[in-house]
Amino acid sequence: MHVLLIEDDELVGSGIRTGLELAGFTVDWFTRAADARVALANLDSDIVVLDLGLPDADGLTLLREWRAQGLIVPVLVLTARDAVADRVAGLQVGADDYLLKPFDLDELTARLQALLRRAAGRARPLIEHGPVCIDSSSRRVWRDGLEVGLTRREFALLQKLLNARGGILDIEQIKDSLYGLDTEVESNAINVHIYHLRRKLGTGLIRTVRGLGYRLGDPRDLDSGGLK
Amino acid sequence: MSLRRRLLLTLGLSFCVLWALAAAWLYSNLHDQMRQTLDQRLAASARMVAGLVAQLPEDAWAQAAEPMLSIPQSSGVACQISSPAGEVLMRTQGDFAGQLDAPVAGFVNRNIDGQHWRVFTYIQNGLHITTADRLAERVMLQRNVIVVAALPFGIRRGLRPLEHLRSELARRDPETLTPVTIVDAPAELEPVVDTLNRLLVLTREALRREQRFTSDAAHELRTPLTAIKTHVQLALRVPADQTHEAMSRAEAGIARLQRTLDQLLMLARLEVDQAGNNRAQVNSTSIVETALADLENRERVVMVEHDSESVAVGVPHELAAAALRNLLENALRHTHGDEPVALEVQAGLREVVFTIRDRGDWPAEQSTHNLTQRFWRHGRGQGNGQGSGLGLAIVATITERYGGALEFTARDGGGLVARLSLPAKDHNAR
Repeated sequence: MHVLLIEDDELVGSGIRTGLELAGFTVDWFTRAADARVALANLDSDIVVLDLGLPDADGLTLLREWRAQGLIVPVLVLTARDAVADRVAGLQVGADDYLLKPFDLDELTARLQALLRRAAGRARPLIEHGPVCIDSSSRRVWRDGLEVGLTRREFALLQKLLNARGGILDIEQIKDSLYGLDTEVESNAINVHIYHLRRKLGTGLIRTVRGLGYRLGDPRDLDSGGLK
Repeated sequence: MSLRRRLLLTLGLSFCVLWALAAAWLYSNLHDQMRQTLDQRLAASARMVAGLVAQLPEDAWAQAAEPMLSIPQSSGVACQISSPAGEVLMRTQGDFAGQLDAPVAGFVNRNIDGQHWRVFTYIQNGLHITTADRLAERVMLQRNVIVVAALPFGIRRGLRPLEHLRSELARRDPETLTPVTIVDAPAELEPVVDTLNRLLVLTREALRREQRFTSDAAHELRTPLTAIKTHVQLALRVPADQTHEAMSRAEAGIARLQRTLDQLLMLARLEVDQAGNNRAQVNSTSIVETALADLENRERVVMVEHDSESVAVGVPHELAAAALRNLLENALRHTHGDEPVALEVQAGLREVVFTIRDRGDWPAEQSTHNLTQRFWRHGRGQGNGQGSGLGLAIVATITERYGGALEFTARDGGGLVARLSLPAKDHNAR
């Protein structure tokens, strides 16, 4: 899952980035509102963590802009201002959640996962797709009741496909979600991840849509296909 | 209108009105009450006399040719006893001859020599006992009652503005600092209300400033705290080889927290120490020495020497050095790499001027009015965890407190010139 982090403080930002990466997120971090604007326009971020006190613009202004443009990406606001009025203002402008500094890394991770879950239209962290069962909070996967080990990227790809709920994802979207902006990605890296996922969980899990990208396969295909 | 005049006028008017109303009131209520009471008294005295007369032997009246009893004259009351034949047996001394004769029993009003009297006749065994009192006495009594009743009323009316102010103040929530408004405030009260309102405005502004500062300060402390907490948590999660980096970042956060706290405390001390009379002997050379001693990167500060002597400065040593150090720190922070910062000290008779020139990141044309605002940061002071946002605000507070001057000028080609002038000791004392 790709997180766009906008935080002007170097110490705080580096800490959040490392913490989120440990929790399995792909993070791109910007310190200025101007950079964040460009990034969100070009990246397919799954969620945004926004600090309100930015040097070149108010975080709320940025958020208002995005919402006016029709961007519906979930936004979690970070701020040191704890007055109720500040919190209400943030939520009214279009923030989906609110976390007061200083916060606990576990809480930040849990809230981000909850926001992602809700954005995908689910209330529970447990997802069942045919014989495959996924716990997004503990990042564990089972097939037919047996736990299957996935790498961080494989899990992120699986989660991305599940959250798309049958919609088609193109290569760029998958790349953003798995690697963000900075990492140089080899052209066949995504294919490799898809190959491994199919091998571990069943060929019917991911369908290739020619010329467009990939989407989640029908659960019944998984039942019949089984493991080879 | 003055309170005194208002009081007099109100009292006078209320007396006039009340006296005018007295008649109506008197005759309607009080008058009736008093008439009844006094009439009862009149009748009671008549009956008492009758009781006394009944003790006398019956033939005593027949033998009497002259009034056999006499009552000394007293103003306002009269009494007469006459026989069934109409002879006056006893009468109060005075000009009452024939005036008190009454054929029928009961009350009657009578005019005797131009004065109104209330007359009561009681008949017992053929004896007519008549008692009378003067109406004028009754009126006087009523009037006294009215005056006594009306006086407090007038006083209360005159003092009503004070009462308004009292109740207005009593009603207020101690937290509200909005101006007091008194309708129709008299001249004596206006200065009081004005002063009170001015005080309220000042208090409200001071309170608002305080609240904003406290809120800003809390905000500023939360950020380094977040950095510390995040990196400490990371240190527990990352593999052992990365623990060191997380801990050193947490330490950087602690250093920043400490810096911010130090600056906040210094600012708080400056605010409290209003007297500012702690003026130990300090001279310009020792100020520069102390300021440089605590400075990181002091090798980048280039002194521009003058042959002028060291001059005593009328600012406490610690504060003068802190002001100069903050200016130098600020210049160094905003200057890239190894670029030097120039410090020039000019000692005059009246003041010592410290000039700090840098080629930092301040844009050539930018206005410098924000520089001393608390928690305002620019360029390299922000984000990278360096500046507390308080350094220059502290310099400004110190110069203001001790009558110095602080001025910033943007340089052509970028960078900043800071000019701090502190008053010389001798000049200050004069």
